[in-house]
Amino acid sequence: MSADQPRSSHRRAPWVHRLGRTLAAVGLLGLVWLALAFSAVAEDPTASPGASGSPQPSTTPSRTPAASEFDWLFATPVPTPSAPLASAPPVPAPISHPPADGANGCYDCHSVVNDKQAVIAADWEASAHGQAGVSCADCHGGDPSSDQITVAMDPANGFVGAPDRLASVGLCGSCHANVDRMKASGLATDQYAKYWSSVHGQQLLTSDDNRVAVCTDCHGSHTVKKVSDPSSPVFTLNVPELCASCHADAARMEPYGIPTDQYDIYSKSVHGVALLENKDVRAPSCASCHGSHDAKPPTSATVVGVCGKCHTATEELYQQSRHSELQAAAPQCWTCHGTHDVTQPGSYMFFHPTTPDYTCDTCHDLQTHTLRLELSRFTNEADRRCDTCHHPDSQIYAQIEGINTAITSAEDAYSHAEDTISRAAALGMITSDAEVKLTEARTSLIQAQAAVHTTKLSSIAELSTEATTKAQEAEQIAEGKVDESVFRREAMIVVLAIIAFNAAFLYLVKRRLDKRLEHR
Amino acid sequence: MYFGGIALFLFGIQVVTGTLLTLYYKPTPEAAYESVQFVTSDVSFGWLIRSMHHWAANLMILFVVLHLVRVFFQAAYKYPRELTWVIGGGLLLVTLGFGFTGYLLPWDQRAYWATVVGTDIAGSVPLIGDALLQLLRGGADVTGDTMSRFFGIHVLVLPLALAGLLALHLLLVHQLGLADPKKPEPRERTAEYEQEPLRPFFPNYLLDEIVAWYALLAMLVVLASLFPAGLEEQANPLETPAHIKPEWYYLAVYQLLKVIPRTIAVLAPIIGIAVLIVWPFLDRSPEVLARRRKVVVGGATLVLLVMIVLTVYGYVS
Repeated sequence: MSADQPRSSHRRAPWVHRLGRTLAAVGLLGLVWLALAFSAVAEDPTASPGASGSPQPSTTPSRTPAASEFDWLFATPVPTPSAPLASAPPVPAPISHPPADGANGCYDCHSVVNDKQAVIAADWEASAHGQAGVSCADCHGGDPSSDQITVAMDPANGFVGAPDRLASVGLCGSCHANVDRMKASGLATDQYAKYWSSVHGQQLLTSDDNRVAVCTDCHGSHTVKKVSDPSSPVFTLNVPELCASCHADAARMEPYGIPTDQYDIYSKSVHGVALLENKDVRAPSCASCHGSHDAKPPTSATVVGVCGKCHTATEELYQQSRHSELQAAAPQCWTCHGTHDVTQPGSYMFFHPTTPDYTCDTCHDLQTHTLRLELSRFTNEADRRCDTCHHPDSQIYAQIEGINTAITSAEDAYSHAEDTISRAAALGMITSDAEVKLTEARTSLIQAQAAVHTTKLSSIAELSTEATTKAQEAEQIAEGKVDESVFRREAMIVVLAIIAFNAAFLYLVKRRLDKRLEHR
Repeated sequence: MYFGGIALFLFGIQVVTGTLLTLYYKPTPEAAYESVQFVTSDVSFGWLIRSMHHWAANLMILFVVLHLVRVFFQAAYKYPRELTWVIGGGLLLVTLGFGFTGYLLPWDQRAYWATVVGTDIAGSVPLIGDALLQLLRGGADVTGDTMSRFFGIHVLVLPLALAGLLALHLLLVHQLGLADPKKPEPRERTAEYEQEPLRPFFPNYLLDEIVAWYALLAMLVVLASLFPAGLEEQANPLETPAHIKPEWYYLAVYQLLKVIPRTIAVLAPIIGIAVLIVWPFLDRSPEVLARRRKVVVGGATLVLLVMIVLTVYGYVS
């Protein structure tokens, strides 16, 4: 009986079971609610509210930093950059293998066994690894001192063959995250940690999705070259094409819903033209903004800093502006300039040709009565204008008109001076003094144009006036040169007339003398 | 044909304008460019003096070459004027030397890099190339040392050499008289020949020359007024311009370097000029009529055409 008592004490009445199930259901719902709440907090403010859901292939171009840019990011199970990241796996130990003792049995056999293996052996020999003495066995294991296949490629001797994609990251990291090992080559050792923080690494880590980029996709395996080698796929000039080899592939990007037109758009942008056409290695490639090993899109919290890495002075000016104080409603670099499709800025960016339509909720959150910035309004380049937000009846609009007038006047003055200098130079005049003044005008004009980022009319007007004055001085000097050239041409006609008169006179004297000689 | 007289007149222009330019010119890399700029922009009629000097230099080379071509085709180099021809060859070399050394003096990008290319060509001469390069540049590179020696050569060595050679040349012309393009020397002393009246040098012949000089002066005034001598950016040894080319009179050699092996391209003009200078001693035939010297005239025409084609090719390429 005593044995039955505990059993009977565990018996539950039916209402107890129902209560338990109800509590469990409520608890589960609570957890789901909490997860959603956390997810909402973690979302970037630039993400559109409807962005979450199942992965959708992109059908819209990636011209804005708004919804279309980040839909894919929030639509996939990959944690957002601002969400806590999954931890990187520990760095594996390097592959151990018996010492080579000066031999290279792998190379000796593989370089002659067949054409394919010979190419691999030659690639390795020419690679950065081959040059640095990183041997086959360092990545594949085995016994490099043996020329017997059964010994050299024996798992008992540590032979691991070709590592799979996931393992390859750890394999590279086992050396490249090793400070002692990298000290001699002076290479950074944070790539491994950075990789796991990237969208590529996180996707691999959290979803076991081995379609994402791993080390060898960008650097190659047997053909690894130094980043400074212009033939390397990761050389600055080659980076856009490297990224595009996956990111412009619609089929490959389809599961992630990532747009595939970034490369096309980028290559036409000022950045793309500078890098790809002008071969200016100072121009940004994909990696300059997204990172390389830690590749991820910039967020609204980081974009000013990302652009400011190069546009340092402009970032400082922006930080002085009223725009920078608006927090969530703050227009940032990409609001006006776009992302992949950055064009040459100019005074065309102030106003639409015709006034756009406005409603209250264009700029205001009607419920909270606060300012809001709807980034989708800036999708098209033609809509990235000041009057997209600022209404013609507003005081700020009048200020923008003042800024526009100041800048365009300075630009016009500069352009006139430039034309006059060209005219003087075409007449063969030395115009270096006018050009010096024009360069000063250009400096002031650039400062005035950059000062637009401060949104302060007074300082912009001051710099514009300075530019206009200097340009007018340059034009005055050039006008003087043109007048001088006209004088020279007029004087030339007078001198030619005097010469002709003298020559004709002497010719007549000569004829008379010749006749006298004939008559002698 | 007044080519020789015109070349002499242009030399006179060069002496006068060169002397005036020297009053302002500062032959150091630091000051040369600004002094040239000052002469051109701020000195009264400085632009005219400099432009005349620039254009007269170009025209002088052109007319010396035309004079040489005329003398060659009319066989005026033959007995008894062999030495006049040889000295004329020396005058051509001195004139080219004027162009080469004077080109560097403004110390702008074009001047600097044309001198780099020009001295490089000289450095390609087999055996003595390196020594010649060092001698011309005063070091491994074109520097202030190069400018100093180019200036010294341009305003002292070459004018003295040219004046000496010119005096000899004129003396020989005066002593030997002008060649008759139709009759070989020695001319038969016929009665007709003896009675032929001599045309006095002054004033008859000189007036002819002066009228031609006036025409040249008019040409110089037009060129200087419509196409004044320019000035590019100051020489920057660290910034190689996209297209470096020597002056037009070196374009043929420059282009030759591009189309045939370097050693041959350097030796060919040297051997060519050497042969040209000693040509009167190689061509001993007394015949002066071109139609009876078909091989010589044909060969010279071909060489001339090749040089013109190479110059045009070098200019447009």
